[in-house]
Amino acid sequence: MTPPGLTAPPVLLHHAPTAGLAVDSSPGGMFSYFSDHRDEVLNWLGYHAWLSAVPVLAGLLIALPLGWLARRYRWTYPPLVTAAGVLYTIPSIALFVAMPELIGTQILDPINVAVALTVYTVALLVRVVADGLAAVPEDVAQAATAMGLTRRQRLLKVELPLAVPVIAAGVRVAVVANVSLVAVAGTIGVPNLGQLFTTGFQLSVGNPYYPPITLGIVLCVLLALVLDLLVVGATRLVTPWRRAVGGS
Amino acid sequence: MKKALTSALVAACATVLAACGSSGSSGSNGLSGGSSASAGGGATVASKLVLGGSPEFKTRTDGVPGLQRVYGVTFGSYKTLDAGGPLTINALKNGQIDAGDIFTTDPSIPANGFVVLQDPKNLYAAQNVLPLINKAKATPGVSSTLNAVSAKLDTNTLAQLDVHVITDKQDPDAVAKGWLASVGLNKTGTAAQGASIKIGSANFQESVLLAEIYAEALRAQGANITTRLNIGSRETYIPGLKDGSIDLIPEYSGVLLQFFDPKATAVSSADVYAALQKAVPAPLTVLDQSSAEDKDAIVVTKTTADKYHLTSIADLAKNG
Repeated sequence: MTPPGLTAPPVLLHHAPTAGLAVDSSPGGMFSYFSDHRDEVLNWLGYHAWLSAVPVLAGLLIALPLGWLARRYRWTYPPLVTAAGVLYTIPSIALFVAMPELIGTQILDPINVAVALTVYTVALLVRVVADGLAAVPEDVAQAATAMGLTRRQRLLKVELPLAVPVIAAGVRVAVVANVSLVAVAGTIGVPNLGQLFTTGFQLSVGNPYYPPITLGIVLCVLLALVLDLLVVGATRLVTPWRRAVGGS
Repeated sequence: MKKALTSALVAACATVLAACGSSGSSGSNGLSGGSSASAGGGATVASKLVLGGSPEFKTRTDGVPGLQRVYGVTFGSYKTLDAGGPLTINALKNGQIDAGDIFTTDPSIPANGFVVLQDPKNLYAAQNVLPLINKAKATPGVSSTLNAVSAKLDTNTLAQLDVHVITDKQDPDAVAKGWLASVGLNKTGTAAQGASIKIGSANFQESVLLAEIYAEALRAQGANITTRLNIGSRETYIPGLKDGSIDLIPEYSGVLLQFFDPKATAVSSADVYAALQKAVPAPLTVLDQSSAEDKDAIVVTKTTADKYHLTSIADLAKNG
């Protein structure tokens, strides 16, 4: 219909259309996309796993004493849990961008994302730890005291282990939530699987280009499953009595 | 540089003439336009249209305020989308916006038959591609390697490479290597031996491609290169350059000048470059600029252009 010179900007007058090159834009194109970009994608996967897992461990270490505090001194429960809830409402992208100002890191440092996600993990787990400790039956705690355990022994040997299943449930939520939150950091240039979404979106000019997007989703889901299984496995390891009783 | 700009403008005018010629078959000529016939109290064409572009375009000196100041054009409303990316292009295609701020090398302009409105009053300054680099990293060998790349890069080449990356979905790194080989810049040497450089890119594909071109050219000269691509916008990566997260990023002379000096008035390629060299703050500097340009442009669909007889931004201020 239209002569070539009509629609092209001046610079493109000599360019012949390249329709001959078949590009698989369907979701199934993710396999060839992966083999074409293997090193890059595996590098992003590594960063993504690191950025998802480390903040959960760090967050758990911080949330344990805070949760204990909220349980031990009841008046601290409302402010701690409320503060944690408020932290969780901060949009992730805002926190990622504000982090260098807050902790004095370089603006593109992945540590910004790790710290921000640690904040979210703490926010999720403070309540979980406090509630987990609270769920330990009072008579069990009293029996422990009656057996001569000090407060400290009672916490470490009786209450905390009994709270593990509740805490682990929270950790599973946190780790899976982190996998998806990390992807947001792809938009500020931190290497992770989120870059696949950015790239796929940028290439979706005119027609959607699915391969990198599908690949990103599949890898995120697989990563979340693996990390979740690790948490489940670790939980089983530290709660041997549950297996003995369950008999399954 | 001036010559390149002039020839680009001449070519641009040729396109307009071609457009006018063909739309003449539908009974009206874009330049003499029947639109003025309805003058006498009617609203302007622009007031009936929705403009879409990046968040910064809304307030940038040469963005919405510039359209008003230079052409007296005020759009009915402004939709905040992205910097000439898929959001803007798809919205224009779907009719969710009537005009978009899109870049001239974008392959989707010819692919969708979009019409680039001419800018006779030079609202948009020259936008030559150049490397923005940390001064400490710009050793003579690194500078000469990058300057050799800039010397070979022109607008036509850049537009074609964009097609390979954006339309054909080829890997930017492969496209970069292929082009460097085709112009003989892939020969291994030792000019940049010992240099260790972190190269960044903004979050659009042309920037990624240019970053890969710099990366591969420097690698061929023995530099140790790491890349941090898709960093986002200028607000993120300029601080990244200053704090040493990255050392080098491809940039565009006109917008970069406005970023550092919002009151800058330079328009021509040479003027912009001269002003930019003074405006770039320590510890950064710019190397030689290439003749390749990727300018902002107000782009409309062919249907809109035909309906309101649009060939230039100035036509938007007419009553329609």
